[in-house]
Amino acid sequence: MDATGPTGGPSRERGGAVLEVGPLSGRPGIRASGEIGVTTRRSWENALTELSRRHADVSYVELSGVRFVDVAGVAALAVTAMNLPGGRVVVEQPPPQLPRVLRLFWPSLQRIEVAPR
Amino acid sequence: MSTVVIEETFSHPALFYGSEDEYADRTVTFVREGLAAGEPVAVAVPGRNLELIRTGLGADARDISFLDMTEAGRNPGRIIPGVLRAFADRHPRGRVRIIGEPVWAGRSAAEYPACAQHEALINEAFAGRAATILCPYDATRLDADVLADALVTHPTVIDRGRERASGSYDWRAVVARYNEPLGPAPGAAVLGFGTGELPEARRFAVDRARSLGLSERLQDVELAVAELTTNSVVHGGGQGTLAVWAEAGQVVCEVRDAGRLTDPLAGRRPPQPGQIGGRGLLLVHHVADLVRTHTAEEGTTVRFYVRL
Repeated sequence: MDATGPTGGPSRERGGAVLEVGPLSGRPGIRASGEIGVTTRRSWENALTELSRRHADVSYVELSGVRFVDVAGVAALAVTAMNLPGGRVVVEQPPPQLPRVLRLFWPSLQRIEVAPR
Repeated sequence: MSTVVIEETFSHPALFYGSEDEYADRTVTFVREGLAAGEPVAVAVPGRNLELIRTGLGADARDISFLDMTEAGRNPGRIIPGVLRAFADRHPRGRVRIIGEPVWAGRSAAEYPACAQHEALINEAFAGRAATILCPYDATRLDADVLADALVTHPTVIDRGRERASGSYDWRAVVARYNEPLGPAPGAAVLGFGTGELPEARRFAVDRARSLGLSERLQDVELAVAELTTNSVVHGGGQGTLAVWAEAGQVVCEVRDAGRLTDPLAGRRPPQPGQIGGRGLLLVHHVADLVRTHTAEEGTTVRFYVRL
């Protein structure tokens, strides 16, 4: 259901949710803006796969431009972090749902550090 | 107390009590039997009854997990994952013993069907598991219908100190009986949605809930509506209808679609940490004060309530 163009532009589904996601410049990790939900799931998961492929010690996930993330979007992030061989993931300025859902379903996940808005 | 062994591993008796003294006496005995057998024990009952048990136990209370069921189990749909399984899963070796009192005088007409279904589903959720869950029922203040349902949802009942098999035990019948048709209240704000309108559906629910007076829990409404509308798009025929209204001091959000809920424990099974999906309905149960569902050939309706 994902409609990401070949150029890696915004993922868009019939005027619904849009997510732009790409690598951070100058440090390891990704930045995203828009909404993380069922129609943008593929781009989000692809970006997380890329993050874990390049992960060394600390990776950053910059989410200041994300307005909403659903439970499966938080799950994809949590599972990505759990499966890393080591180190940690710093999630910067996420929407408020993210820490709430993380605390609810992964209360003891040490590998994700949240730097709030 | 005589003991009837119905099921070697899982035991789920209802306890009909007629007075506070009887309540304290029988629950404290039940807890002490567990402690003597080295079993981890949890007590999740309404606050006043919590004090009766705590007082009756004296120094033995220190080894017990106590929860006020009017808080932890206000939404009956989160008792299995959030209270019962949460405790049992912390003690995976050996038998656990729990007192769970989800039904009390004062449960509303909207809440009761969800309470009865919860009691029924405990049997499925704990089938084959080494656990004893005792469910006290206030025989002097609860309706005769409620006590009759307790005989259908519990394989055994302890009445006036004697445990006997329940002749009417048939938990699936209670799940089916309270699968009651639902529909939006007159005057509800209604929005049809498909895949492209998921963000709009979320905003619609938040805006309506705010205008009905909700302030602190708007984020919960947004999350829960996102999960239900996403379920409609993925499992419910690709589209659905969202309705929002206020009722008896609560905001109600209802999502209707053409899907069918075939798993009676959907939203009540704790997920494995590494699993990606399967948390949407759990989240709805967690954030809401009450969840009601109706599922049939023609479709599924899920409604959740949030107190103003």
